[in-house]
Amino acid sequence: MTIHGLWVISKAGGLVFSRSYSDVLPPQPVNTILTLAGILHGIHAITAKLTPTPIPGVPVGGLESFEAEGWGGKVFLTPTGTKFVVLHSIPQTGLDELMKRIYEIYSDAVMKNPFHTPEMPINSSLFETKLQTLMSGVNA
Amino acid sequence: MTIYSLYIFDRHCECVYYQDWHRTRPVRAPPQTSFKPGVHRLPPPPSTTSSQPNGNVNRESIFSENAAAAANRNSLVSNGTSTSQSNKLSLPKGLPFDEEAKLVYGVILSLRNMVKKLSGRDEAFTSYSTSSYKLHLFETPTNYKFILLSDPSSDSLRFVLRQLYVGPFLEYVIRNPLVKVDSREEGVDNDQVSVVPQQWSQRDRFPTSSRHQ
Repeated sequence: MTIHGLWVISKAGGLVFSRSYSDVLPPQPVNTILTLAGILHGIHAITAKLTPTPIPGVPVGGLESFEAEGWGGKVFLTPTGTKFVVLHSIPQTGLDELMKRIYEIYSDAVMKNPFHTPEMPINSSLFETKLQTLMSGVNA
Repeated sequence: MTIYSLYIFDRHCECVYYQDWHRTRPVRAPPQTSFKPGVHRLPPPPSTTSSQPNGNVNRESIFSENAAAAANRNSLVSNGTSTSQSNKLSLPKGLPFDEEAKLVYGVILSLRNMVKKLSGRDEAFTSYSTSSYKLHLFETPTNYKFILLSDPSSDSLRFVLRQLYVGPFLEYVIRNPLVKVDSREEGVDNDQVSVVPQQWSQRDRFPTSSRHQ
C-alpha cells in the first residue's frame, strides 16, 4: 500500500510538479515525465469523447483511473482544470481522502502564495515539506 | 454489470470486429471510402454519398461535435421557448465508426506506452475507468487486442476477454481454414465471437432494463 509518485498537471497540459515517493517505479528523466504528463492530459480529453452512454445534460467526465499489473494511477480533476495524478500500488484504500488532502495542501501552500505564478512550475518548499509528511504517513 | 461494446484490433492496428449492446448514442456507419466488410453489423453507407465529385467526404471530427453541442447549449440558455427542438438536438450525434475505432486504438496505444515507460518493464495496462464507463484490455502474444467497454462498477473483466480469445476466437476464427486471417480487406464476421460477452450481458439484462426504466 504505497504511493509511488505524484504529478500536478496545469490546465494547459503542462507538468508543474512531479515527485517520486517510493523506489518501485524506476526514476525517469524530467523530459520523459513532461512528455508523459502531456500524453495523460490528451488521453483525459479523448476518453471523455468515447463514452458509450452519454446522458444529455450531464457533463461527461474524462479518465479517472487506470491500472497496470500491480500499480495504478488515479486522476483528480479540480473545477479549475488542474489535474492531480497519484501513482499508487494496487490494493490501495483511502485514495479519495488522500487526493482531497493533497488538494488542500496545494491550495494552502501554492495558491495562497503571492509569489507563485499560476500555470508555472511549483517551487515552494512548504508545499514539498507538507506533501512529504503526508506521504510518509501513508507509506509507513 | 452491463457491457456496452467489444472491439477486436489486429496487429495492423485496424479494427477487425465490433459488437455493441446497450449503447444510447448509436454509432454511425463509416463513410464509403473506409468501409471494410465483415467488421460490424452496421448498415453500409448509401452508395451515392453526398460528397464532392473528387471523393472528399466532409469528415466529422470530435471538434465539430463539440461546436454543435456548445451551440445547442447556448441556444438553450438564450431562448428557453424552443425546448422541444433543442431536446432533439442536445444528444450529440455519435462519431462515424472508423473515427471512433481510431480514437479507441489511439488511447490504448498511448496509455500502453506510458505505462511501459513508467514501469520500466514490458507490462501493459489492464483497464482504465472514467465516471461513465470502464475499458478493459487484453492483449495476446500475437498482437491482437481485445477491448471491452463496461459500466464503471465492474471488476476486472480481463478473464472474460481471455475466455473469448481462448474459446470462440481461437476455435472458430484462427483454426477456421476458410477465414483469411491477417487479411487487410475483411474483418472477422463470425457469430461465435460474440457468444461469451453476449452471455454475460444477458445474465445482467434484468438489472439493466430496470435501470433504464
